[in-house]
Amino acid sequence: MSARIEARNVSKRFGGVVALDDLSLDVAPGEVFGLIGPNGAGKTTFIRILTGFWLASEGDVRLDGVSVTRDRFRVQARLGYACEQPKLYADHSVDAFLRFVGGLRGLHGAGLRGAIGRSIERMGLEPVRGRRIGVLSKGFRQRVALAQALLHDPPLLVVDEPTVGLDPAQQIELRRILSGLRGTHTVLLCTHQLHEAEAICDRVALLDRGRLAAIATAEEIRAGAGLEALFLARVGRSAQAEPAT
Amino acid sequence: MIGRVLALARKELRQLFASPIAYVVGTAYVALTGIYFFQHLVSYNQLLFVYQSEGLGGGGFDQGTVPSHINVLNEVFVPAADDFGLFLLVVLPLVTMRVFAEERASGTDELLLTSGLRPFEVALAKHAVTYLFVVLLLAASAIYPAVVVSRAALGFEHLIALYVGQLPCSSFTSSQIVAAVLGYSIPFVLLDFAWLSNAVSEPVARALGEIALLGHYGSFPRGVIELREVLYFASIAFLGWLASLTALELGRAR
Repeated sequence: MSARIEARNVSKRFGGVVALDDLSLDVAPGEVFGLIGPNGAGKTTFIRILTGFWLASEGDVRLDGVSVTRDRFRVQARLGYACEQPKLYADHSVDAFLRFVGGLRGLHGAGLRGAIGRSIERMGLEPVRGRRIGVLSKGFRQRVALAQALLHDPPLLVVDEPTVGLDPAQQIELRRILSGLRGTHTVLLCTHQLHEAEAICDRVALLDRGRLAAIATAEEIRAGAGLEALFLARVGRSAQAEPAT
Repeated sequence: MIGRVLALARKELRQLFASPIAYVVGTAYVALTGIYFFQHLVSYNQLLFVYQSEGLGGGGFDQGTVPSHINVLNEVFVPAADDFGLFLLVVLPLVTMRVFAEERASGTDELLLTSGLRPFEVALAKHAVTYLFVVLLLAASAIYPAVVVSRAALGFEHLIALYVGQLPCSSFTSSQIVAAVLGYSIPFVLLDFAWLSNAVSEPVARALGEIALLGHYGSFPRGVIELREVLYFASIAFLGWLASLTALELGRAR
């Protein structure tokens, strides 16, 4: 089976600073794939290149064979993106916000209403669908971000730090939601939480200072001393030099 | 494409009228234009009274004693149109500066630009909504002239064109303060280059005169719309849209 995401020799420089350095990796369809690394490892940079928000300095990322450099809009049509600390319109109600995003995604009429209904049900947003986003808890805001990302039922869901700032119950609930997408959707999960990646990812990539430090499957991690040991072995020293927050 | 632009335009309208800024700006503009229009009208009436008074024209209250250039168009509409444009220049950046800068500051530009929305669609929707707001402001301020003379011409194109400089300015920066400063300074600099004419050679001064807003404005308050001037203001509006688009694309290649 061909890869859903193919990243080849992707680099990103900001002036003299190298944020991503010659990164290559593949993600299979239906896989929950974790991107792990300390702050400044290049996780968010890679996601922003994949989603077409930033342009790579070198290399390319393909989604189902479509190059993000050449046709980012076709790539964007095939992915949903919930970014770190969800950037939502606080003055919109959940319903109005999903209608807005649906409009951007080219949905309208009965198709839009159906998509909103499914997203709301999947994310458990029914009790708050009429409330302003600005007054929702972090957990519900994160769910709204996931609901908008899944509204057009894309084959790829990209999620950046979905559990930051959530209480334990909300974290468990979000992990359950993401795990539930396995098989039907490909999930690219960017996280600092090693136990989170270990719990729900089929494979993880460890990034360190813009470079790929290691890729391991869930079986390999379980067979070894766990993700924390792998992280300390491959990234630990540089992470200590530049502490993650 | 139309569906995406309309979706974004609806969101912009919702945000514009959900904040107090639009109402404060609208009220200030309508109040200012009302006060100044009324002031011009009062001055005109006083002038008429003076001219028609015994001893000045020699003909008492005879209509014929008022010079032909003293009329409602020259004494009320032309100066009022100048005032209206200036007020628009002062109040409008308060609204337009937030159009792009707020998206960047809150990070929602990432949502917009990764949802399949083309940058030209973003620029189009945002410009369309701010133009609509200008139309509403002008419509509100047109009540006074409409009451006085039904054929009033307020230089609508001029007033719109004066403000287009705000949009690209706000899209170049995530700081609303910087956007406001640029938004105020560019149109005022473009307004008239007469202050530069002594410092540059004659051909340069002539060229600057050609691109200055005031040089293209003269006929509008008199109700004369020339194709040449319409094209000039349309070009400025297009450049504003193009500058917004360029800023969005440059942000991607940072």
